[in-house]
Amino acid sequence: MPNVILDPTGGARAVAAAGQRAPRRADLAGARIGLLENTKHNADLLLAEVGRLLVAEHGAAEVVLVKTKTAFALPAADELIAEFAQACDVVVTGVGDCGSCSASAVADGVLLEAAGLPAAVICSDAFVATADAMAQLRGAPGYRYLTTAHPVAILDADGVRARAKNLAPAVAALLTS
Amino acid sequence: MSELDPDNAQAAIEHCYDQGWSDGLPLVPVSQPLLDRFLATTARDPGEVIGRLAALDRHVTIELAAINAALAGCKPEYFPVVLAAWEALMAERAAGGGGWQSTSGPAPLIVVNGPVRDELGFNKAGGVFGPGFRANATVARALGLIVRNAFGVHPHVFEQATQGLPGRWQMCIAENEEESPWPPLAAEAGIAPGTSAVSATLLRTSEFVDNRHTSSAEQLLADFADTLGRSGAWIFRHGAAGIVFCPEHAQMLAAAGFTRDCVRAWLAEHSGRTVAELARVGKDGLGDRGARHASGERAAGFDRVLAPDDPHHLLIAVAGARNAGISMVVRIFGAWSGTAVAVAPAPLPAGAVHG
Repeated sequence: MPNVILDPTGGARAVAAAGQRAPRRADLAGARIGLLENTKHNADLLLAEVGRLLVAEHGAAEVVLVKTKTAFALPAADELIAEFAQACDVVVTGVGDCGSCSASAVADGVLLEAAGLPAAVICSDAFVATADAMAQLRGAPGYRYLTTAHPVAILDADGVRARAKNLAPAVAALLTS
Repeated sequence: MSELDPDNAQAAIEHCYDQGWSDGLPLVPVSQPLLDRFLATTARDPGEVIGRLAALDRHVTIELAAINAALAGCKPEYFPVVLAAWEALMAERAAGGGGWQSTSGPAPLIVVNGPVRDELGFNKAGGVFGPGFRANATVARALGLIVRNAFGVHPHVFEQATQGLPGRWQMCIAENEEESPWPPLAAEAGIAPGTSAVSATLLRTSEFVDNRHTSSAEQLLADFADTLGRSGAWIFRHGAAGIVFCPEHAQMLAAAGFTRDCVRAWLAEHSGRTVAELARVGKDGLGDRGARHASGERAAGFDRVLAPDDPHHLLIAVAGARNAGISMVVRIFGAWSGTAVAVAPAPLPAGAVHG
């Protein structure tokens, strides 16, 4: 019997528990909005604009919590997720605009959903492969998130507002269906 | 030797490809006896965790590192160097903060000091960045295979490098201590000269400076300052860099009285661009988050690329042949920790007598 060839990967891993998608509300009427911003250039303005439009045009009550991630490459800490769960009804997060932060934005979405919060994750469309891989890794294959055309970082303020205007209806739809 | 069986070897190599373990080149299929020879070179527990990638919930143990080092083509006796290189790399902030997934696709630069260089056959002289030496080539490759296999970071999936850079997982150089006028790089980090040690950081690019044109130390340094100050590689308020000096350049600077610290101080003062030059490429603006942006509103001035308050903003090593004035400027991804890790001596075989 020859020796077996050894596996350098550590072998099959236990797949994370299937990610539960949070129950959806019928609409955003009166909803308290949370924004989780990941420090990528223009993410703050894009999320602020989307939040404003959810209030102005989709019936949300107000943006009650805005937080900035301290490590964009890593999934949000449990305490941060708990803070959103405490204060908000729905969360918008992003922008996944780099190799690590796009994957971790989807990881945040899966964590927020598991905490009972409908989440709308926004990623640049250049990072779909890594975002989908993270959803799979986190036990939520096929997790639905939103894409916006790459690039986002070089847009001027008017360009970012135009993106937000295009995204807002899709964000509202994803948070309610 | 008639017992060597190329057909079986090829089948085993293809098996490794089929599992998705390869970086593109053939791997050495690893068996338990080979793994045991690697593990015999360290006193550490095979199950000890020596690195984590929190974003992907993955980790690497001594045993997994050994399998990947063997896979890369290392000899068992290289393994203590692989472990030191890995530990040095893990000390770099960028290695734990999304660097392996980054669009910048950074590449480790590994610098080996001490007697292990000659004992294991590391190249420190001519063609030090190039191929041809098993120790240099396979130690660098081992780190790449650990990231690929133990951390699960594959190109086009969790690795999102836009282009990456030439030499990724290939840059392991020994310092040419014998022809360097300065103490070993590891000695700067507090490791006694004569002790084998490894330093490592992550690079985004490298660019040669060919200066066989002057006998003035200041003119030579000004040539380096120009390359260090290039705007293309400059994305935040400051940037970190390194220079792998050839012996000729290092000896010329030392003869003019320049220590490593003097070289650093001179280059820190002179490397950069004017605000107008930076405005021309849209990088004059200094935001509160660090990344530069197009501003056009700053007063005239000169921006230094090397941070004045960072003692590790410029890694300086000496390697290569003493046959020309050709050195390499390297651009560091994030920051260099300025640390080095001693290579642990292999444990004595069972029954060996101390003394």
